[in-house]
Amino acid sequence: MKQNNNKAHKFGMVIDLDKCTGCGSCMVSCMSENNVPFKEDESNKKDSITWMSVYKLTNGKSFPDTQIVYMPRPCQHCGGKGDHGHSPCVSVCPAVATDYGYDTGIVSQIYTRCFGCRYCMGACPYHARYFNWWDPKWPEGMENYLSPDVSPRMRGVVEKCSFCYHRYQAARDIAYYEGRDDIEEHEYQTACTTACPAGAIVFGDLNNPAHQVHQIVKPDPHPDPRNKHVVGKSRNPKVFRLLERLGTNPKIYYLSEREWVRKAGDNYLDGEWDKIKNYHGATLSND
Amino acid sequence: MKVDRRSFLGLGLGAVAGVAVSPVGIKLTDDSSIWTQNWPWTPVPIDGEVTYENSVCSLCPGSCGLSIRKIDDRPVKIEGLAEHPVNDGGACLHGIAGLQYLYDPARVKTPLKKNGDKFEKISWDDAIALVAGKLVDIRKSGSPEKLACIADKEQGSVSGLFQRLLKTFGSPNFYTMPSLESYLEVTAEALHGEGMTIGFDLENSDFVLSFGAGIIEGWGSPVNCFKANASRRARHAKLYQIESRLSNTAANADKWIPIKPGTEADLALGICAVILKNNLFNGGATANFRGGFNKLAIMIQKDYAPSKTAEITGVKASDIEKIATLFAKAKMPVAVFGKGRGDGAQSLKELAAVHTLNCLVDNINKEGGAFVQPQSEYLEFPDESMDSIADAGFSKNKAGRYVNQLIEKVNESSKPVVEALFVYNANPCYSLHDSKSVKQAIGKIPFVVSFSSFLDETAKEADIILPSHTFLERLEDVPSCAGLAKSVVGLTKPVIDPVFDTKHAGDAVILIAKALEGSIAQNFEWETYDECLESVAGGIWDSLSEDGYAIISEGAPSGSVAVNVSFLADNPATIQAQGDYELTLIPIDNMRLINAGIAASPFAIKTVSDKVLKGSDIVVEINPLTAKGLKDRGYATLTTPMGTARVMINLNEGMMPGIIGMVEGLGHTFDNKYVSNKGINVNDLIGPVIESGSGLDAAFGIKVKISKA
Amino acid sequence: MDSALIPEGAKRCSFPKFAIGIAIVSAVVLWGVFAMFLCWFKGLNQTNMNDYYGFALWIWADLAVIAVGGGAFFTGLLRYIFKIDELKNIINFAVIIGFICYSSALLILAIDIGQPLRGWFIFWHANVHSMLTEVAFCLSAYFAVLTIEFIPNILENRQANKVPFFHHLAHNMHGVMAVFAATGAFLSFFHQGSLGGVAGVLYGRPFAVREGLLIWPWTFFLFTWSAAAFGPCFTLLVTKITETVTGKKLVKDNVVHLLAKISGWMIVTYIIAKIIDTIYWALVTAPSLGFTLSHFYSNNGFYGYWILITEIVLCGVVPGAILIMKSTRENPRLRLIAIILGVIGVCLNRWVMVLQIMAVPVMSFDTWALYFPSWQEIATTILPVAYGIILIAVAYRYLPVFPQEQELNTIEPVAEAE
Ligand SMILES: Nc1nc2c(c(=O)[nH]1)N[C@H]1C(S)=C(S)[C@@H](COP(=O)(O)OP(=O)(O)OC[C@H]3O[C@@H](n4cnc5c(=O)[nH]c(N)nc54)[C@H](O)[C@@H]3O)O[C@H]1N2
Ligand SMILES: Nc1nc2c(c(=O)[nH]1)N[C@H]1C(S)=C(S)[C@@H](COP(=O)(O)OP(=O)(O)OC[C@H]3O[C@@H](n4cnc5c(=O)[nH]c(N)nc54)[C@H](O)[C@@H]3O)O[C@H]1N2
Ligand code: SF4
Ligand code: SF4
Ligand code: SF4
Ligand code: SF4
Ligand code: SF4
Repeated sequence: MKQNNNKAHKFGMVIDLDKCTGCGSCMVSCMSENNVPFKEDESNKKDSITWMSVYKLTNGKSFPDTQIVYMPRPCQHCGGKGDHGHSPCVSVCPAVATDYGYDTGIVSQIYTRCFGCRYCMGACPYHARYFNWWDPKWPEGMENYLSPDVSPRMRGVVEKCSFCYHRYQAARDIAYYEGRDDIEEHEYQTACTTACPAGAIVFGDLNNPAHQVHQIVKPDPHPDPRNKHVVGKSRNPKVFRLLERLGTNPKIYYLSEREWVRKAGDNYLDGEWDKIKNYHGATLSND
Repeated sequence: MKVDRRSFLGLGLGAVAGVAVSPVGIKLTDDSSIWTQNWPWTPVPIDGEVTYENSVCSLCPGSCGLSIRKIDDRPVKIEGLAEHPVNDGGACLHGIAGLQYLYDPARVKTPLKKNGDKFEKISWDDAIALVAGKLVDIRKSGSPEKLACIADKEQGSVSGLFQRLLKTFGSPNFYTMPSLESYLEVTAEALHGEGMTIGFDLENSDFVLSFGAGIIEGWGSPVNCFKANASRRARHAKLYQIESRLSNTAANADKWIPIKPGTEADLALGICAVILKNNLFNGGATANFRGGFNKLAIMIQKDYAPSKTAEITGVKASDIEKIATLFAKAKMPVAVFGKGRGDGAQSLKELAAVHTLNCLVDNINKEGGAFVQPQSEYLEFPDESMDSIADAGFSKNKAGRYVNQLIEKVNESSKPVVEALFVYNANPCYSLHDSKSVKQAIGKIPFVVSFSSFLDETAKEADIILPSHTFLERLEDVPSCAGLAKSVVGLTKPVIDPVFDTKHAGDAVILIAKALEGSIAQNFEWETYDECLESVAGGIWDSLSEDGYAIISEGAPSGSVAVNVSFLADNPATIQAQGDYELTLIPIDNMRLINAGIAASPFAIKTVSDKVLKGSDIVVEINPLTAKGLKDRGYATLTTPMGTARVMINLNEGMMPGIIGMVEGLGHTFDNKYVSNKGINVNDLIGPVIESGSGLDAAFGIKVKISKA
Repeated sequence: MDSALIPEGAKRCSFPKFAIGIAIVSAVVLWGVFAMFLCWFKGLNQTNMNDYYGFALWIWADLAVIAVGGGAFFTGLLRYIFKIDELKNIINFAVIIGFICYSSALLILAIDIGQPLRGWFIFWHANVHSMLTEVAFCLSAYFAVLTIEFIPNILENRQANKVPFFHHLAHNMHGVMAVFAATGAFLSFFHQGSLGGVAGVLYGRPFAVREGLLIWPWTFFLFTWSAAAFGPCFTLLVTKITETVTGKKLVKDNVVHLLAKISGWMIVTYIIAKIIDTIYWALVTAPSLGFTLSHFYSNNGFYGYWILITEIVLCGVVPGAILIMKSTRENPRLRLIAIILGVIGVCLNRWVMVLQIMAVPVMSFDTWALYFPSWQEIATTILPVAYGIILIAVAYRYLPVFPQEQELNTIEPVAEAE
C-alpha cells in the first residue's frame, strides 16, 4: 500500500452567484462543523468570527433598478503571485503558523503555533482571517455538541476557513486504508458545499479534469500573458475571481451571468472594464 | 558550617547563576507556551466512534431529511440528507443549527408550576395529576367546551392526540396557528370545496408568477423551493416576482414588479381581466367554473381594466398586459400566493384571486401547475367513543373559526370563554398581531398549560409547563405541510437521550387522558406514544421506519376539479392598512430569522446582517426618498396606531417609496442572551384587520409615521 | 540627600522636588501598567481593534518610536564610523533616547500580541520570508547593542566609577564602541528597513504595496532613510525640551547646528525619494491594480489629501528647507519649528503606513474602516512616554550625560541655586 502523493491536488470552489440565495446555511454549517464560538452580541461584524461570510452587493442604482447579489466568501486559499504558494498571509507570518500545502493548495492555520501578531490579517485583502479577541465560551452543556475533528481555539490566535481539512484527512485515511491511490470527488466535500440548499457551491480538485469544478472553471494552466502574476485564470467568460489582478491567485471562483456582478469582483479604472470584459473573466496587466 | 553573610551571598549568587545556565529557564518558557495551548477553560471535545443517523427536521413545515453525525452518544453535526424526497441534501441554517436548541439556555428542564410570578419545579406525576384535576373540575361544571387547544398544525399524530383528547373531553375548540398550510386549505375550500388542499409544482413550472411568495425567503418547504429556484435557469424557466420590496426572491427573479403593498389581489384580478378580454384563457377550463363566472367576468372588466388596475397597484398598464400574456402563453405557468413565508396575515381575496389565475389558464393538476387534491389522511386513529358530556360539548359551536377570533372573544367577553388552554408547538403571545392583547387574553384564561420545550413568550404566561422533548429527542411523524407538489411524511427520531427531564407531548397527552379516566381514558389505550404512533401509522409505518419517510402522493393528481368563484364575483373589498398615517409599515421575512414561535438559534442570529440588527436595535428599511432628512444608521421613532418603537434606519434603494420594512423574528424575550432582547417584535406594532366574509386576519401591514429620534 | 550620586560639580534640583516630579509621572506609568495587565489577563478585547483593524494605535506608536529612535544609530554611525567628533557631546543622550524608544517598542510588542507567552515562537519557528521575522531579530539584537552602548554611561556614575573594575570596564567599552556602533548601524538599517518592508510587501493592499529592489520594496529603503533623517530631529527636540525643563544649556550650538544640518540634508534627499516613490505609486503601481489615487483619500470621514500634503510638504519639504539653509537653521525659533515638523512628519508617515492601510477598502464592495482606540490602548501608548521621562530625568540627574554641561553652566552659580 502506498499513498499517492505524486500528483498534487489543487482544491478549489466555484460559487454560482445566480443560484446563491444569501440564506446563510453555508455560514452556519461551517460554524457548526468547525466549532466556531458565538457571543452575546454578534452585530459588530468586524469582530464576529465567520469563516464563511456572505456579502451583500448592490448595483448601486436607485429604485426600481436596484439589484442585489450575495457573495459567499470563504478563505480564498490564495496561491500567491505566480501561484507559487506565497499567499499574502503565508508569506508574512513570522512563525509559520499559517502555511501553504503544496500537495493540496490549502492554506492551513495552526492555532497552537500562532502567537497572535495579526500581520496575516493585515495582509489578507478578503478579510478572511479572524482573531479570537475573547476566550471562546459555550453556554452550560453546549460544549457537548463540539466536534473532536477540529480543536476549539484559544483566545489570542487567528483562525480562518481550512477547507474543512479534517474532511480531507478522513477521506485520505479511508482511501489509504482501502489501498486506493486517491480519493473520489464525492469523498471530500466541505461542510458549506454539502449544506448549500441551492447547490450554489461546487468543490473539488481544480487539477482534475474529471471534477466538476475543473469543468466549470477550465483553469488556464499558463500565466496570463497580460499579467504574469496571474495563473489559473478561468477560460469560462462567466467566471471570475475576487481581486484577481492583485495576483493573489485565489482558488475560489465565482460564476454569474450578470455583468455588473462580474465587474464588482475587481477594481477597474474608467473605461478598463469595457475593454477586457469579454477576455476570460477579467484581468489587466500589472506590468 | 557557619553561614555568614558572605557565604549566604555567595550561595545565593551561585544558585542564581546555576539556574540561569541550567535548562530550567528554557523549560519554563516552553511549559508556559504549552500551557497557553491547553488552557483548562478552553473545552477539548472528546473523541469516539463516528456514526450517522437519519432523521427529519420539524423546526418549520419544510420537513427536510437530516443526517446527524454522532461521536459515541453525542450528536455533533446536522446536515441535510442526500436523496431525501423533500430536500435531497442541503438544509437550511436553522436545521443545521438544530443542536443549539438541544442545549438552549432557555429550555424548560423539568415540569414547572407557576406560583405567583415565579415558576417552581414539580414532578411529572404531580404535574399530570394537577392538570387532570383541573380538567375534571371543568367537566364537572358542565362546560367541557371551555377547554381549548392551540397547536401549530392539524396534521400529524401528536396534533391528532390533542384533537382526540378535546373531542372525547367534549370540546370543539381546537385551533391552529396561521400557516401556509392553513391558507392553502382555506383557499382550496373557498374555490374547490372542503377538505381539499393545494400544492405548487415549482420544480417543473416554466413560468412562476409569484405574488410576493418568498420562494427563497422560507416560503413553503424552504430547501425544496431553493432547489426548484436554483434549477430555474437550466430549465429556461422564468420567475416574475410581484412585491413592494426588493426581497432576495425579487432580486433573484427574472423580473421584479414593485407593487403598492396590499394591492396584490387587485393586480391578480387585473391580470385575469386581460386574460379574459384577450381570450387568453383556456376554454375547456372555464367549463369547470361554478358560482358566477360570468358575474366575475363582468365585474373585473368593469373594475379591473388595466388602466384602473394600474392606478390601484402602481404597476404600469402595459406591464399588466405583458405579464398576463406571458403567463397565459407559458406552457406550464403557475401563480403562487402567500406573501413572504406564506404564514403571515393574508386575505382570502388575494389568495382566491391569485389561484383563479391558475384556474383560468387551466394548469390545475397538470405538470408544472397547481395540484388540487384532498388533504392526505395517512393516520388511522380508531373511532372515538364519547360519553354524553363529550357529545354535548363537542357539538357546540367553536368560539371562532380562527385563533385570532378566539383571542378576540376571550378579550371581549366578561364571562370566561375558555377555562383551560393547552398550547403545543405554538407561541401566540409572540406570533399573532397585537401581541399585547394576545397576552392579555391568555392572562384572562384561568388555567393555561404549555407543552413548550422552551420558556417562550407564551410559556411564560402559562400556569403549568409540561416540557416536551426537542425534535432531536423524540420519535414523531412529520408531514410536510408546505404547498409541495408531492406529499411526504417523514419520521423524526431520537438521536440522543433526553437531555433534561422532559416528556414527549404525545406521552403527556396520553397520561392526562388516562388520569381523566372513564370514556376519555378508554380512547387512549396505548401504553406510550411510540406504541400509539406505530399503530395509527399502520399503513405507512414500515416505510416510515425503514426509509425514514413515506411518499403519500407524487406527481399531478388525475381529474379536473370544480372552481367556485362566488366569493370573488361579489368583489369583496380590498383590505386597507389600519390607521391614517402617510407611510405603510410592512413586515419582512428574512431567511436567517424565524418568525414562528421559536427564536432563531445563536448561530442563525450571528449570520443576521448589521443592516437588520445592530446591538439591541432593530434596523428598518426605507427608501432614501421617503426617509427625508433621516440619516442612514441614524435613529428614528416609528409610530403606528398600535404603539411606538425606536429603530435604526437603513436607507435602501430596494424599497418602494412610501413603505418601511421591519424584519419579523426579533424581539424575543426568552431567557437566552444570545437570541433575546434583540430588536422588537413587529407584531407588537401591527394590529389585526379582519376580512369580512372570511374572518381572516389580513393585516398585511399598518400605517405608520416616522420621525427623527 | 542623594548628592553623593550626582555627578561632581553638577547642579541639580532638590531631592524632594525631583521626587515629586517623578511621583507624578509614575502615576501615569501605573495607569499604563494597569492597562497593560488588563490586556494581558483579559486579552486584547480590552482594545478597540477588530478584524478589519488588526493594527492599531500602539503599533503606530511602536513604529513611530523606532523611527524617532533612529537618532541613536545614525548619530552613532556619524560619531564612531564617520568620526564626526563634535557629536560626542550629544551621543550619550542620543543613545539614552534610543534605548528608551527601543525598550518601549519591545514592551509594546509584548502587549500587542495575542499570546505573549508564545512570543518567542517568532525566533524558534522563524519564517525567513516574513519581514516581521527580520524586524524581531534585528530589533532584539539592536536593543542589546543599545544596552551595551548605554552601559559605559551608567558606569560613569560617580559612585559606580569609584569601583576600579567598573571604571576600567567603562573606559574599555568606550574604546571598542565603534564596533558596536557599526553593528548597531547595520542592524538598524535592516530593522528600520524591514519595518518599511512590513507594509511594502502587502501585495493584497494596493495602498501599501510598492515595487522595489530584489526582495525589498521601496518602503524598505524609505523607512531606513527617514529614520536616519528624522531621528536626529527627535534627539534635538528632546535635548531642547531637557534644556527648557532644566533651565540650562546642555549642548553647544555648533553641535546642534551640525546635527541639524546633517538632518536637513538627509530630510531633503529623503523627501525627494519619497516624492518620486509617491508619484510612481500613484501613477503606475496603484492604477495597474485598478485604483486611482482619489480612492485612497475620499469617501470617508478622516483620510483626505490633507494627510498626504501634510506629511510630504508641510512636515517634509518645509523642515528640510529650513534645516539646509544656514540662516534659517541657525535661527533658534525656525530651527525648533523645523525639528517639531520633522518629528510630526515621520510619525505621520508611520501612521499612514500602518493605520491608513487598514482603513482603505480593497474589494470593490467593501467600505472604509475607521477606528478609535480604547482607553487601555491610549494608556499603554502613553506608558512609554512617561517611562521615558522618568528614565531621562534619572539619567540626567545621576549620570554625566552631557559632557559640555559643566563648561556651559559655570558662569552663574547663584542663579542656579534656587
Ligand atoms: N502519510 C503519512 N505519513 C506519516 C504520518 C501521517 O499522518 N501521514 N504521520 C507521521 C507520524 S506523526 C509518525 S509518528 C510516523 C509513524 O510512523 P512509524 O514510526 O513507521 O509507525 P508505525 O508504522 O505505526 O509503527 C512502526 C512499526 O513498529 C512495529 N511495532 C509495533 N509494536 C512494536 C514493538 O513493541 N516493538 C517493535 N520492535 N516494533 C513494534 C509495527 O508493527 C510497525 O511495523 O509516521 C509519520 N508519517
Ligand atoms: N489509531 C491511531 N491513533 C494514533 C496513531 C495511529 O497511528 N493510529 N498515531 C499517534 C501519533 S504517532 C500521533 S503523532 C497522533 C497524531 O494525532 P493528531 O495530532 O490528532 O493528528 P491528525 O489527526 O493528523 O491531525 C489533528 C488535527 O489537526 C487538524 N489540522 C490539520 N492541518 C491543520 C492545520 O494546518 N491547522 C490546524 N489548526 N489544524 C490542522 C486536523 O483537521 C485534525 O483535526 O495520533 C496518535 N494516535
Ligand atoms: S484569502 Fe486571505 S487568508 Fe485566505 S489565503 Fe488568501 S490571503 Fe490568506
Ligand atoms: S497572527 Fe498568527 S498566523 Fe497570523 S501572522 Fe501572526 S503568528 Fe502568523
Ligand atoms: S470550506 Fe469548510 S472551513 Fe471553509 S468555509 Fe466552507 S465549511 Fe467553512
Ligand atoms: S448556503 Fe448556498 S445559497 Fe445559501 S448563502 Fe451559502 S452559498 Fe448562498
Ligand atoms: S427548511 Fe425547515 S425543515 Fe428544512 S432544515 Fe430548515 S427548518 Fe428544518
